[in-house]
Amino acid sequence: MKAKVGVYVCECGPNIASKVDLDRILETLPALDEYREIELVVKKYGLLCSADGKNYLEEEIKSNGFTHLVLGACSPRDHNKTFIGVCKKTDLNPYLYKIINIREHCAWIIPDKEKATEKAISYLRGGINRVLYQSSLFEKQLDIDPDVVVIGGGIAGIETALSLAGEKRNIYLIEKSGKIGGKSSRFSSLLPRQGKGLALIEEKIEKVSANPFIKVFLESSLESIIGFLGNFEIVVKSKNGNTDIKAGAIVVASGYGLIDPLSSESHSYSESDDVYTSLEIEEMLKEHGKIMTKSGKEPASVALVHCVGREEKGYCSRICCNYMIKIARYLKDQSDAIKVTEFHKGLCMPDKGDQSFHKAMAERGVEFRRIQKITQDGTKISFTGMDGSPGNADFDMVILAPAIVPSEDTDSLAELLEIPVSETGFFQEMHQTTDPVATSIDGIFVVGAAHSPKGITDSIFFAQAAAGRILTHLIPGEKIVPEVKVTEVLEAFCTGCQNCLDVCVYGAISYDESKGVSVVNEVVCRGCGNCFGSCPSGALRTKHFTNPQLYQEVREAIR
Amino acid sequence: MDKKYVPRITSFLCKWCSYTGADLAGTSRLQYPTAIIPIKVMCSSRVDPVFILRAFLKGSDGVLLGGCHPGDCHYETGNYHTRRRFAIVKTVFESLGLEAERIRLSWISASEGPKFARVANEFTETIIAMGENPVKKKIFL
Ligand SMILES: Cc1cc2nc3c(=O)[nH]c(=O)nc-3n(C[C@H](O)[C@H](O)[C@H](O)COP(=O)(O)OP(=O)(O)OC[C@H]3O[C@@H](n4cnc5c(N)ncnc54)[C@H](O)[C@@H]3O)c2cc1C
Ligand code: SF4
Ligand code: SF4
Ligand code: FES
Repeated sequence: MKAKVGVYVCECGPNIASKVDLDRILETLPALDEYREIELVVKKYGLLCSADGKNYLEEEIKSNGFTHLVLGACSPRDHNKTFIGVCKKTDLNPYLYKIINIREHCAWIIPDKEKATEKAISYLRGGINRVLYQSSLFEKQLDIDPDVVVIGGGIAGIETALSLAGEKRNIYLIEKSGKIGGKSSRFSSLLPRQGKGLALIEEKIEKVSANPFIKVFLESSLESIIGFLGNFEIVVKSKNGNTDIKAGAIVVASGYGLIDPLSSESHSYSESDDVYTSLEIEEMLKEHGKIMTKSGKEPASVALVHCVGREEKGYCSRICCNYMIKIARYLKDQSDAIKVTEFHKGLCMPDKGDQSFHKAMAERGVEFRRIQKITQDGTKISFTGMDGSPGNADFDMVILAPAIVPSEDTDSLAELLEIPVSETGFFQEMHQTTDPVATSIDGIFVVGAAHSPKGITDSIFFAQAAAGRILTHLIPGEKIVPEVKVTEVLEAFCTGCQNCLDVCVYGAISYDESKGVSVVNEVVCRGCGNCFGSCPSGALRTKHFTNPQLYQEVREAIR
Repeated sequence: MDKKYVPRITSFLCKWCSYTGADLAGTSRLQYPTAIIPIKVMCSSRVDPVFILRAFLKGSDGVLLGGCHPGDCHYETGNYHTRRRFAIVKTVFESLGLEAERIRLSWISASEGPKFARVANEFTETIIAMGENPVKKKIFL
């Protein structure tokens, strides 16, 4: 069949029409020798994106029976979707259409109308050439499973589960330990700005148990996972056997751990000394109602040491300054007579209410001592002050704030889920600034302290953000349309070298042992084309961005 | 050299950053030479070394490849691969005795309209100064 290409240039009000001679385009293109073999209809229109414009275009496509369509208009970022929508109302496959941006890339950058017109003609010719090499692509619709698996039952996991569970969505909460609540349920109180936060957390824990749409797996772990957004298959391992679960998304909320103080040369930590980690103090208070030395006495003097392991880890743990002041308050509430000294290297207290808490505790007699360097050996502390002068002191008790580190299972979970971890060892988000809860695998999210050191408030933010993403992306009953401009393997050319496997960050490519070739999972592939550049055998083809298609554009650029 | 010499430049721009930067140059009404006709790809990593070489040997006087800044690739690590592969093309160019200045890789973010215009201007200037690609259509691939 002879190709019949519709070319419509848009005036875009005066935007294009005043800078590009559209009539000249209308005269030039059909007269070109190279289009003798095809039928070319070239027309102009006022505003193609307007309601009238869209109707006009739809009618034109239908009545002319175009095989291909090229629009000379604005940026595809503005209206590509609009015109794909128009194509979808007709028999023309939207992948046989192309928009050429003669506004931003011609009209607006070249003051000389003649030159702008010449460039527009050239640009459009590239588009016409290319579109003739394009192929129809067909979108697939996949059923989705709206259920969600949450790994980790700390406050972040709990909040995620509560935000998502409902009539049409079951949540499977997998918790490693014997109860949910995470570290937050081991504290005696929260920060002053968090009010009755602890009671609210208890309430949330009860709500999880009472919610018929949340199934909690205690003393359980993730055994295996396969699949992709909307269609994951998971095996949960529990004491009394394995359970198979189907889910559409996965939220990782495996929390954090504390660095071993001994990994820092400047600190000591042993069973026999009155040296404790912050978490041990929280637990001691919760269990015994009092902070006591090993000999069962109330300490007369306590040193609180911030930033243990911070230099080794190379990042600030964000939450320690605040909770260390909370521990100072525990001590002062227990007895005003306890002498409390906080050794810090500059306080990090970014949230509202933090500064006044610091001030209030300073007024209650807590000594805040900013130092440059500190060495702690048992309960003996020597330090260098900010002015360089040395000092030392012995205390009845030393409490350390060890750096917040990723929970111990982070690496094994990352391997199972095939998501990366960052330099700091925490799970790597999709983008630190613009996409912080997503990961490189569509449908897998990371929340709470598993993402980076975080207080409870921020952990809840993250949980709600991930829940929001899932609520809008996994709507019960709706289908998902995976990317169609994906890469395929031409099996006859693939030598099985597996170069491409390492390149794809989405894990879209796997190796088929029996056939000896690589296979792209089209639902997972995002069509970036990176693997294409890695294949020494030319065995890959990125649909809609094939070499012949791009070469048609190149041909015009070098004509 | 003829004053009116318009070089043939092939410009590949990734959809997410550099193409958007080029759009912004337009929206800001910045000026840059007509020789730059953007060819959109999803990610700079799609443009493999052989394709660059081919575009060059087929007749481009210059090849410009635009991508997101390191760390900002929409596909996470795509542009790190681009960077490595581009270094290889440069070496290949040098060892074949081709002029490596005729190919350029630039990181241009979506908000860097002025940078896009600057790169487009500078690169076109460079190519105009160098004149036509001497091996144009003489070597085939
Ligand atoms: C001493 C101290 C005091 C603090 N005080 C405050 C405070 O007053 N206010 C405040 O806002 N923040 C405070 N914090 C911070 C607070 O603890 C964290 O913000 C909060 O616990 C983060 O919640 P999470 O759910 O992300 O992680 P976690 O509380 O660590 O919970 C993670 C959960 O995941 C489970 N898990 C781990 N691995 C797996 C696995 N592989 N499979 C299944 N389950 C797994 C764990 O068992 C745990 O139940 C304090 C921290 C410390 C150390
Ligand atoms: S890089 Fe190419 S040849 Fe090697 S396994 Fe992948 S598709 Fe096959
Ligand atoms: S095109 Fe990109 S996402 Fe798709 S398989 Fe290749 S590298 Fe992975
Ligand atoms: S998307 Fe711009 S370089 Fe990868």
